[in-house]
Parts: sequence; C-alpha cells; structure tokens
Amino acid sequence: MTQPVTIIMIEDDEGHARLIERNIRRSGVNNEIVSFANGTDAMQHLFGADGSGLVQKGNALLILLDLNLPDMTGIDILRQIKENKYLKASPVVVLTTTDDSQEIKRCYELGCNVYITKPVNYENFANAIRQLGLFFSVIQVPPAAP
Amino acid sequence: MTAEALRRRAFWQILLIAAGLLVLTVISAGSVYLVNKAREDSKWVLHTIEAESQINALLLEIRRAESSARGFLLTQGPDFQSEHEKAVAAIIPALDKLTRQIGDNPAQRDSIEKLSAAIETRLDQFSREMSFVKQGQFDRAIELVREAARGNTTTTITNQANAMIREEERLFRLRTANSDHSQTLAASMTGIGSGLVVLLAMISTWLVRRSARARDEAEARLRDANINLESVVDERTADLREANDEIQRFAYIVSHDLRSPLVNIMGFTSELEELGGDIFRRIGGLAHVSADGAPLAPAGPGEIALEGPDKQLQEDFSEALGFIKTSIAKMDRLISAILNLTREGRREFQPAKIDTTELIEAVVSTLAHQAAEAQAEIHLEPLPNVVSDRLALEQIFSNLIDNAIKYLKHGVPGEIRIRGRTKLGYAIFEISDNGRGIDPKDHQRIFDLFRRAGTQDKPGQGIGLAHVRALVRRLGGTMSVSSELNAGSTFTITLPIAWNVSNRNRDR
Repeated sequence: MTQPVTIIMIEDDEGHARLIERNIRRSGVNNEIVSFANGTDAMQHLFGADGSGLVQKGNALLILLDLNLPDMTGIDILRQIKENKYLKASPVVVLTTTDDSQEIKRCYELGCNVYITKPVNYENFANAIRQLGLFFSVIQVPPAAP
Repeated sequence: MTAEALRRRAFWQILLIAAGLLVLTVISAGSVYLVNKAREDSKWVLHTIEAESQINALLLEIRRAESSARGFLLTQGPDFQSEHEKAVAAIIPALDKLTRQIGDNPAQRDSIEKLSAAIETRLDQFSREMSFVKQGQFDRAIELVREAARGNTTTTITNQANAMIREEERLFRLRTANSDHSQTLAASMTGIGSGLVVLLAMISTWLVRRSARARDEAEARLRDANINLESVVDERTADLREANDEIQRFAYIVSHDLRSPLVNIMGFTSELEELGGDIFRRIGGLAHVSADGAPLAPAGPGEIALEGPDKQLQEDFSEALGFIKTSIAKMDRLISAILNLTREGRREFQPAKIDTTELIEAVVSTLAHQAAEAQAEIHLEPLPNVVSDRLALEQIFSNLIDNAIKYLKHGVPGEIRIRGRTKLGYAIFEISDNGRGIDPKDHQRIFDLFRRAGTQDKPGQGIGLAHVRALVRRLGGTMSVSSELNAGSTFTITLPIAWNVSNRNRDR
C-alpha cells in the first residue's frame, strides 16, 4: 500500500511558513502540508491526546521543524520524536536562522536528518527548499510498523 | 589608629625619656655636690677635733713645764731641769701650730692672743725662776712662784684654754650637725631620684605595652579588612561576570531574533520582485494589444520592451526594490558580525605554547597577495614566545596586519614592521606602518563596533579592531594605538607571557 507523505510544518513565523510552502510547491511537491504555529499544537497532533504517538501509527510523515518556538524549543520536540517508537522513523528537517555549529551538531546527535539554515539571501533559501523538494521525491518512507 | 594619636604617643615617649634623663642629671649633679659638701663638713669636723687636741697638748706642755720647774726648785735635780727645758721648748711650736690651725676663726684669734700673752708672761716667769734656782737664790724663786700664783697667770691660761675648747666644741657640734644634714640630704636626694627613675621606667613600660596592644589591634583590623576586601572583590567580580554573560546572551538573542524578520523581508521582497516582473509583463502585453489591435501572446519574459511612463514606472519599481535588498544585505552582514562576535566571546580558549614568529609568518604568508598588490613589505623582528590561544592570536595579528596593508598611503611603498619585547611577565608586540595614520580624535572610536575613521574608500564593516580588542582583553592583555594623520600608525599589544586558563576562561 502506498501512502502519500504528509508534511508537518512546525514554524511560528507565518512569513517563513508561507515562503517555505511556496518554494516547496514551486519545486513540484504537492503533498499535503499541515502547519502549526506553536509547539504545543504540534505535539498534540503528533502524539495525540494521550501523548503516546499511537495516532500517527502507520502514517508516513515528514517533519519540518523550526528550533525557535514561542512555547518550547525545537530541540525538545526533536528529542521526543526520536524517542517515540511510532515517530522515530519519520525524517525530520530542522530549519533555523542559526548557523551555530554547536547547535547543528546537537541536532544531528539527536537524530535530525537534514539541517537547513534560513539565509537572508533568498536565492539560497529557495534553492535549499527546492532541493528539499527533490529530497522528498526520493525518500523512501519506511513501511509502517504492522 | 589615627595619625594624630600616633604623633601624640611619640611625643609622650620622647617627653618621658627627656624627663628621665633630666632626673638622672639632677640626681648626679646633686649627689656630687652633696658628697663634696659632706666631705668639706667632715674636714671641718676633723679640723675642730685637731684644734681641740692641740689646745689640750699645749696645756699639757705648760703643766709639764710648771711641775718640772717646781720639782727643780725642790730638788735642784738635773732631770727636772732637762724635763723643764724640753717642755718649754715644745710650748712655742705648739702655740704656733695652734695659731695656724685656728687662724680662720676671728673669735678664737682673739682668745689665742690673750693666751699667747699669758704664756709669754708665764714663760718669762719660768726662765727667771729657773735662773734663780740655778744661782741658788731659792727665796727669790719661791717668791716668784708665789707671785706667779698671785698673778693668776696659770688660771688665765687655763681659763683661756678652756674657753677655746668650749668654742671648738661648739664648732664641733655645729659642724657635725652640718655634716649630718648634708649626708641626709644626699641620701634622700638619691632615694627620691631613684624612685622617680623607677616611676618613669614604669610609665614608659606601660606606654610601650599600650602601644604594642594598639598595634596588635590595628593588625587584627587590617587582617579583617583584607579578608573583607577579598570577599568584596569576589562579589564584584561575580557581578561583573554575570553582567557580561547577560550582555553576551542579550547580543546573541537580539541578533538571532532580528534575523528572523529579515528572512521574511528578504523573502517577500524577492517575491515582490517576481510579482513586479509578472505585472510589468502583463502591462507590456496589454500595451502591445492596444497599439496593434491584434492580441499577441507574449513570446517570453523580458522580451516585451515597455515604453514611456510604463518604462519609468518599471525603473522606479526596480530601483526601490534594489535599495531595499542592498539595505537588507547590509543589515544581515551587521547582524552576522554581532553573532560572530558573541560566538567568539563564547568560544573556550585553549592556552598553548606558541612560537610567535612562526605564527605571524604564517599569517603574513596568507596576506602575501594583498601585500604584493599594495607594494608593501613586511619586516619581522625577533619576537618573544607566549603561552596563549592560537586561534585568537592568529585573528589578532591577521586583523592588524590586514589593516596595515589596507590603509597605506596611495603611491607610497608600504613598510610594515612587527616588533616584540618582554617586560615584567608581559610580551609587548608592536605593529607599525607608514600608512595614512589615524587622527588622534578617532583613536577611541576605531575600537568601537561598526565605527570607522578616515577616508571610507575600502570595504569593511568596522568590526576588526573591536574584535581584536575583545580578544586581547579576554587573553588578559591590553592594546593601544599611537598615530598621527599621514604619519603612520603603531598598534601596541601587551599580552601575558604565560596566560593561564584559570584567569578568565574558566569563569565563562
């Protein structure tokens, strides 16, 4: 059974969210994008009311995660996703304005798959997102656990 | 303890010593004087006794002469005659001696004159008596004895002698009393003086002990103050460190959060640019239709040339967007610079033994291209080695040498010199050039972030020197500049020779 990948975007800045979405669409990716402007709502959606993550069992997800959220840090969300048995197989793309090497290292240690800094140079940004689109088209979402 | 109290104490000490010396001098002088006086008195007492005994001796000789004369008269024995002659011979010297001895006393002199006269008379009687006896005229001799007895010559002599003895006894009593008095005075003087000296010594001891106690107390207070000072310094240092950390965090968060809206501004400006392109293409298409009357599908983007006011509109639109994009780019560079600076501030320094000459040679070789372009020569003099952070030193020297190359005078071959020396545990490096120099009023300003000085004909953000100074400070050093406009510049960096990580790094 092939299941379309749903893109979960956790990004508090509406502008950034819009720009990311546009560039994803421009690169020809038409998957469903679910946006969240804060960490709490996103966590609710990902882990369900009981916080077990069972609601997402079998769903193919790709998570775009901003590290600076108003109510929690993206690092926490990343850690919980990677510790959850239903979610840990979903690829996580970290998007942030920081190009701090310490932070990048930490994200990779926690299991993030791609780390993209949002450069002010729009061309670079658009390119990065479009490459991400290519990445979406080639990734194999692992088969959902039976 | 105040200085005033100290001065007063010293004054009292000196006063005490002076008083002690004075007392000792007075006692000594007084004792010498009184002892002399006592000796004098004793001499006079002795003199009196001698005079008295001399009087008695004189009387004895007279009696001897008298009794021997009588004996001779009775027996005509030659023994008595020689006895008498010896006694008479002794009388005159004894009288002379007595006269000399009591010559000082006018009252006695008077008495002795009378005594002398009486003795003369008596001696005369003796000699006549003796000659009568020798001639055998015993009656006349006896008559003479009777006459002598009647004339009371003997009694006069005795009385005068007794009076003199009494006078001498009176003198003896008086002089003994005097002598006693002098001796008592001397004794009491010595006693009182010694007592005073002992008292002064006691006061002095007390003062010394009090001053020692005061010194101990002051020492204790000083120790307390030192301990207190240390804790105050620690407290302040902790406060400063906290403030510094706060500033670092603030700078980091601000620069980070400022970037986020900038991403949007830039992103949507680019979107607008694209939209603008679309809009003007459509306007161009419409203009074409109205001019030719036949709708033509646009052949491709950018192929339609706008004319007149439309063209003007498009140019204005592009110009506005251009300014916005340049400004955003500049703002992004500034924010990046702040971010980099705060990141530098957070970086852990690793002290290592550094061959400074080798390090600067490496820096110079990376700048060789720029130096050749600017026709600049870089001279390296022997440099002291230090223990410091390698990366920080590289950044410091690379910035300073880069600046020296960048701001040379046009048309003048550059000469850049790097010198080093050591002083009191610090290594001092000087980077001097013959470039355009810096106006003294800008010497402070060039170290401020985003501030530059002089002709702005070179690219730059005004970050280099601020960064260098921050690094030097973190390495426990200082830096300064000396320069005149058009007379070159010398940047001086003072770094500890053996920088210790515990100085500052561990505090972060």
